[in-house]
Amino acid sequence: MAETKEPAGPPVTLTEPIEMSKLDVKFREEIHSMPNGEELSACFACSTCTAACPIANIWKYKPHQLIRMILLGMRDEVLSSDEIWLCLTCFQCQERCPQKVRVTDIFFDCKNLAAEEGKIPANIIGLAKELLEKGQLYTVTADWEREDMGLEPEVPGLSVDALKNILKETRTNKIVDSGE
Amino acid sequence: MSEMPVYNLYMGCSVPANYPNYEAAMIKVAEAFDIQLEYMEGVGCCGSPNLRSIDYMAWLTVNARTLAIAEKNGHDIVTPCNGCFGSLKDVYHFLKHDANHRKQVNTILKKEGLEFKGTITPRHFVEALYTDIGITEIQKKVTKPLDGVGIAIHYGCHLLRPADVTEFKREYLNELIEATGAKVIEYPIWKQCCGATVLPVDENLGIRLARDKLKSMKENGAEFVTVVCPACGNQLDLQQLGLKESYGEEYNLPVLLYPQILGLAIGMDEEEVGLSMNRVPAAPILDHLSG
Repeated sequence: MAETKEPAGPPVTLTEPIEMSKLDVKFREEIHSMPNGEELSACFACSTCTAACPIANIWKYKPHQLIRMILLGMRDEVLSSDEIWLCLTCFQCQERCPQKVRVTDIFFDCKNLAAEEGKIPANIIGLAKELLEKGQLYTVTADWEREDMGLEPEVPGLSVDALKNILKETRTNKIVDSGE
Repeated sequence: MSEMPVYNLYMGCSVPANYPNYEAAMIKVAEAFDIQLEYMEGVGCCGSPNLRSIDYMAWLTVNARTLAIAEKNGHDIVTPCNGCFGSLKDVYHFLKHDANHRKQVNTILKKEGLEFKGTITPRHFVEALYTDIGITEIQKKVTKPLDGVGIAIHYGCHLLRPADVTEFKREYLNELIEATGAKVIEYPIWKQCCGATVLPVDENLGIRLARDKLKSMKENGAEFVTVVCPACGNQLDLQQLGLKESYGEEYNLPVLLYPQILGLAIGMDEEEVGLSMNRVPAAPILDHLSG
């Protein structure tokens, strides 16, 4: 009979035990009530979402783990994770979910909750500031290029005030304020 | 065609600022097919997925506002940008099904005398071309067909997915390319993201994703690439120039916006479609025009 080696340590898949006292049991309800969160609890952890994700290989928490963490109530870990901001929003996970869990949409919900708590990458705050101050992400600078193409130098009908006025009244204003 | 189709043209912010060649080629192609595009009044940036990430209500409101303005004249919206299309279509779909958010948004819009009702549909320009003009009519106008040269299509995530929201099938763009005489090059990672959305958080990752796509396209025989989105265009065309330094690789894969290819095939010259503005020199496409 072949001799089996003594295991050198715990299997690599084993992570730190979850501390039950730190779980937020209401987190799943919170996400459930947010836009497109209704199907959350249908997840049966098949990890098809992770198989579909083109960058899950570099994620500490894989998409299916994030969904499981939401269901378990690991609110802090999810909302502080880099992964929700690294999400490409390519919707491949959501598209393939056999249970119709809107995975990408749920990560958008998570980002909104993180944003409400001020947990936002600096460059995203920069974009929020751009939107708030300029009312758009890109501004025409090379208007001669437009004229070369026979277009009006200024975009016909453009209003940057519309978005600025909306953002003044919403979370973006708060985010930019507290970021400064 | 009995009646000339009229659309509300929603430009967003990126195409006018970065891709006047796309804007002009689209408008000229529309004219050639008797499509009337009317620039929308009083609208601007859709906020992009970045706004959706941090401020869902603002993102809903600004896009519902654009839709509500279009509803006033009753014509569908068309846009050349996948980002704008994704935002408008997702908001349209969501608000049609969610009475609670619709009410909240309409309370804000009421101050401007606007209301989202969901009576017009936001559409991507290429989908309108495919559905309302049709491949048969398009082929009739092709006077200088391409010689079967291989073109890889990068559709763009927000054009294809979520499929129940965007309602766009990749076959539309395949057939639009084939209508010009070109051959569609299939490559394994056609679904993969160009990496544009992740640039603010992890630039190297964004560049790697663009590089992976170009590599896969080239390895499968593509001589040209087509895109229908300014962000995807930046990633595959502009970023391609930097790959020599970052990866020691050169792909020399010209990236054209779809209306540029169709424009050339229906007889426009290179200046009309603004070919000199493409970053990787795109003039080699001219050698593939026949007729």
